[in-house]
Amino acid sequence: MNPYVLSILLMGLGLGTTVTFASSHWLLAWMGLEMNTLAILPLMAQHHHPRAVEAATKYFLIQSAAAATILFASSTNAWLSGQWDIQHITHPLPTVMITIALSLKLGLAPLHAWLPEVVQGLDLTTGLVLSTWQKLAPFALLLQISPEIPLLITSLGLISMLAGGWGGLNHTQLRKVLAYSSVAHLGWMMVVMQFSTSLTALALLMYVIMTTSAFLTFKLLKSTDMNSLAMSWAKTPSVTALAPMMLLSLGGLPPLSGFLPKWLIIQELTKQELGLVATVAALSALLSLFFYLRVCYCLTFTSSPNNLAGVAPWRLESKQISLPLATSTSLSILLLPISPAILSLTLPLF
Amino acid sequence: MLMILTPTMMLLPMIWLSSSAHLWASVLAHSMTIALVSLSWLCLPMEAGWSSLNSFIATDPLSTPLLVLTCWLLPLMILASQNHMAKEPINRQRVYISLLTSLQIFLILAFGATEMIMFYVMFEATLIPTLIIITRWGNQTERLNAGIYFLFYTLAGSLPLLVALLVLQNSTGSLSFLTTQFSPPLQLHTEASKIWWAGCLLAFLVKMPLYGAHLWLPKAHVEAPIAGSMILAAVLLKLGGYGMMRIIIILDPLTKQLSYPFIILALWGVVMTGSICLRQTDLKSLIAYSSVSHMGLVAAGILIQTPWGFTGALILMIAHGLTSSALFCLANTNYERTHSRTMLLARGLQMVLPLLATWWFLFTLANLALPPLPNLMGELMIISSLFNWSNWTLLLTGAGTLITASYSLHMFLTTQRGPITSPVLAIEPTHTREHLLMILHLLPLLLLILKPALIWGWAL
Repeated sequence: MNPYVLSILLMGLGLGTTVTFASSHWLLAWMGLEMNTLAILPLMAQHHHPRAVEAATKYFLIQSAAAATILFASSTNAWLSGQWDIQHITHPLPTVMITIALSLKLGLAPLHAWLPEVVQGLDLTTGLVLSTWQKLAPFALLLQISPEIPLLITSLGLISMLAGGWGGLNHTQLRKVLAYSSVAHLGWMMVVMQFSTSLTALALLMYVIMTTSAFLTFKLLKSTDMNSLAMSWAKTPSVTALAPMMLLSLGGLPPLSGFLPKWLIIQELTKQELGLVATVAALSALLSLFFYLRVCYCLTFTSSPNNLAGVAPWRLESKQISLPLATSTSLSILLLPISPAILSLTLPLF
Repeated sequence: MLMILTPTMMLLPMIWLSSSAHLWASVLAHSMTIALVSLSWLCLPMEAGWSSLNSFIATDPLSTPLLVLTCWLLPLMILASQNHMAKEPINRQRVYISLLTSLQIFLILAFGATEMIMFYVMFEATLIPTLIIITRWGNQTERLNAGIYFLFYTLAGSLPLLVALLVLQNSTGSLSFLTTQFSPPLQLHTEASKIWWAGCLLAFLVKMPLYGAHLWLPKAHVEAPIAGSMILAAVLLKLGGYGMMRIIIILDPLTKQLSYPFIILALWGVVMTGSICLRQTDLKSLIAYSSVSHMGLVAAGILIQTPWGFTGALILMIAHGLTSSALFCLANTNYERTHSRTMLLARGLQMVLPLLATWWFLFTLANLALPPLPNLMGELMIISSLFNWSNWTLLLTGAGTLITASYSLHMFLTTQRGPITSPVLAIEPTHTREHLLMILHLLPLLLLILKPALIWGWAL
């Protein structure tokens, strides 16, 4: 893509999220969300592949519907309470509408059906931006309004965890697997939001780090489905050795850092006397763990000539800068021992 | 504690920086040194108190025998793996030994933990290196399924444990082992308390394994390479027993009523898995099911919560760890020569490998709990305390002892005595390394005859 166009689009993306972060008026927040949507659309469709254009179209329609709902809900709130302040939504009707609209923007179940096909249509870099950067602005709004409707929030969270776990089980395309993993992690973030917004932010931060590592690993290995992961051990033995650790961290296994948000969220839920929700949440993590483990099997634990289903892709020299991959993989494996430090950094902020 | 932990952690740089000629010898020498130094834990003050105490790690008479067993096992695993890893590229050998060492580090931290969440994190952390050893270095295609069964059975049991521990932390404020024996009894009157009780124990019962949840064990033990089988049989099962012994102190008085079905399952499992052993054709599978059988006795001994029960359970855990690991090493000597686990393929080995037959004989006798070995001491104490708890258990435990003797003898006679089958004629003679491995398993067992008080625990 033309570098000037690319820089304008990336600046638009950055500006949109920043505007939403900085706003206290609903219209300005809505404007930031729309800027994000519009800036990413050319990035999605840049390859002019039919699936990419279809993904861009679906993304546009979904996000516009969600943004229109936000506009409608904030107007309703302005009518009912006389002001446009983001933190002062008190009436339940606009609160519910905005929560559902933001869930549609994020891809929380049961409003998650668009996410796998959209992520599948994109290349890995744009998929990374969609899964990480585009989640920040809606979460900023959700954390500020902190909706106090326990039934809605808990059911959004639990259904997302279960839908993300079960939905990802039968896929071989890695982008779809990562989309369902995104749904499941968003469920974990939602379920604790009414009790501790800082834990939601911590879960979001850990999710961003681990997903960045996952997308960058698959980009380095130039593979988008499980069969083409098979010969990675010959191309990059070190990445092949560390990627299962990163994937198991996404699954939430101790002693990797992915365990930290799950542990703290279960602790908060048990403090709030929601032991059953905590147990269901913990067991639903096993569903997602199965498909992460399957990717690990294809990648590292079986190797030629034992893996007959694998194909050998072209071994072209990779010009990818390795620093983001190295940083995100190290962080996604090693952060658990310093959890008190991480907590002291995130808890006062939110 | 750091005197053992830091050298074990420093084994990792040593593995990666050694030259390929010195790798196995240096790791063996250093891990043997660490194992010998760890014996010093056994002579710390044993008066039901904690030693080597700091706020995170400590040892007490319950964890010390298991810690020493863990440290003792690392050089044995390295000895056992040397042959079958020799043909792999050097970096894969380093990864394999690193996995064994990291497993060792997690196990030392698990047995030494004073706080339950630390124990939990280390308990789960041992799953990852074991999973990688089983699925990456196992020899048959069934290893993939074995890894899935292993990971998911254990996790499905231990995630409710995490919730239960956090609920306990909310009500008592602290999860330290140092204070749980002195804390006031919990108010456990509601139905939810019963589910909490089950949540606390389920993880350890699956790990031990209890008979109903034991399906992962034959798969994992059989498909793992020799070091994986050794560490699984000798130590990882004992993590379940150790956890159960630690947490059952808090679970009174619910345990008196709620433990009935689990004791029955455990004892029935002794008889059932013993009977399955009599029909096995796969040698490693036979030893795996015999592990389930012995662990059923351990589970029953712990659940009745008497001093003799606890002591018997601990002694049986240590003795079974050494015996089972030795039997897996013997089965591996067969496997390395014939590349088959079928018992009937390699018969009459006493004529072909007479020196190895001595070890087969001695470890078969250990498996069937021959006096004066500590295996008998453990089994006898558990059977007596179960008889005291209820006279009827003698039917099941007596039948279990009889069946154990039968299948152990069946295993010995099938592999060692009888006609020589033709595949056996061209196998290579025993290596000195294998003899060293066997004597290193047997020597602790024989020495423990002289001072069983070392592995009694604090109950007696």
